[in-house]
Amino acid sequence: MKQDTEADVRTDTAVKILALFFVAIIFLAFTTSPIKTGTKEGERAPPLEGMMYNGSGWTQFDMNDYMTTNWTVGDANGEWLVVEFMDTDCTFCLRDADEFGQVADYFMKISKDADGTPAWNGPVVNFVASATELDIQGHETSREEIISFRDKTGDSSCAGSSCSSRNGEPHNFIYVDDIDQENMQDWKIPGTPSYFIIQPDGIVAWVHSEHPQEKVSDGLFRIFNEQGLMPDE
Amino acid sequence: MNENIILLFYIIPLLVGTAFMTRAGDAMGVSLAGRYPTLVNRRRRHLLGLNIVTLVGFAISVHTLWITNKISEGGEVCSSATVFSCDDVLGNASYNVDPIFGISWGLIGMFAFGTFLFLANSVSKDPDARWSGQYMKWGFYLTASGLLVIALLVSYEIEMEKICQYCTTAHVANVIAMYGFWRASKMHEDGEWKDEEPSSS
Repeated sequence: MKQDTEADVRTDTAVKILALFFVAIIFLAFTTSPIKTGTKEGERAPPLEGMMYNGSGWTQFDMNDYMTTNWTVGDANGEWLVVEFMDTDCTFCLRDADEFGQVADYFMKISKDADGTPAWNGPVVNFVASATELDIQGHETSREEIISFRDKTGDSSCAGSSCSSRNGEPHNFIYVDDIDQENMQDWKIPGTPSYFIIQPDGIVAWVHSEHPQEKVSDGLFRIFNEQGLMPDE
Repeated sequence: MNENIILLFYIIPLLVGTAFMTRAGDAMGVSLAGRYPTLVNRRRRHLLGLNIVTLVGFAISVHTLWITNKISEGGEVCSSATVFSCDDVLGNASYNVDPIFGISWGLIGMFAFGTFLFLANSVSKDPDARWSGQYMKWGFYLTASGLLVIALLVSYEIEMEKICQYCTTAHVANVIAMYGFWRASKMHEDGEWKDEEPSSS
C-alpha cells in the first residue's frame, strides 16, 4: 500500500520545533519577570538623557546615574527622583514654578529648620526638570531662556513676560535641555507640566495624570508612608 | 560565570556546524564515520552543520530574550564600560524592540531561527523529498531578508557606540545559515544532492 510520508516528516518536525519553542518560553517564564518600559505606574521609566544645567554650566545628564538597580522597597538609602516635563512658555508651568521649587528645596534637604538641620529627614529626593519646546505658536525657547527661567536672571521672555519676574525663588534643581522633544516623545508626554515620581530602582511610582487630585508632595508623602519610609517625628 | 565565557558555549558549536558545511568538515566527517556512518556523505554533513547552526541561533535568541528580561527587572547581566556591553544595547528601551510591533528582538530571533530550524530539519529527515529543494530556497530567501534586520540592528549599535556580543553571534549564525541554505540549494541544482556520492575533498 502506497503511503505519502512527506507530510509526516514535516508534521513531526514542526511538532518538535514547537515543543522546543514552548520549553524555551516556559524557561523564560519561570526564570524572569520582565517589567515593561513605559510611563505608567509600575513600569520601568524610559531613558532620560541630555545636557543639563545645574546653575554653573551645561553638562551631560543620564537618569541611570541616579538609579540604584538593586534597591528594594523599604530601603531608606535609595535616592528617589521627581521628574517634571515643562516648557518655559507654558503658563501652567510658570504658575506651578514657585510651589514646585519649594517642594524641591524641602525634599532635596535644602530647606532647613531653625536649628540648621534639614526640614525633611526622609529619603533623598532629587528633582529634575526636562525643559521642552511645545509645538505651539509663541513657544520658542532656548538654553538662555531655560537658564533665565531657572535662575530668574537675564531678559528672556517666558509666556509673554520676563522669565526673571516669575513667581518664587530661583530653582536649585537641574534642568535638562529637551528642546528637540526627544525625552518628551520617549515618555509620551501629552502636555506640560507633567510630573513623575521615580523609585530608586527606576520604576515609576507615581504619575500625576493617574492622581490628578494629588500634588507631587502629597504623592511623595503617601508613597513614603506606604513603604514605611517616613522619618520618625 | 562570566557572560563572555558562556558565549563560547554558543560560538564553539557554531564553528563546528560551520566546519561541517565547508571542506574543513570533510576530515571531521571521515574521522567520525566509524561511529556515525552517514557522515561520510557530504550532503549529510552539510545538513548536520546547518541544523547545528540554526539550533545555536535559536538558543542564543532565547538567551538574548532572557538577558533583555533580566535587565528590565533591574539586573545587570553583561554590563561593561568597554564597547562590548550587551546590557547597554539590550537594555535600551528605544532600540530593544522592533519599531513596528514593539516585539523584543530576542523573540523575533526565536521565531526566525525556529523557522530556519524547521526547514533544515525537515530536509534532513527526508532530503530526497520533492519539496526539499524548495525548502532550501525558502531558507536562503528568509535568511537573506534577515540581512536587512541585521543592518538595522548594527546601525543601532553604531548609534549607541556599543556592541552586543550575543546579538552579533546571532547575526553571524544567520549569515552562516544563509550560506548553508544557499550551498544546499546549489548542491541540489548541480546534481550533488545524493548520499551515494563519495566524500569529495
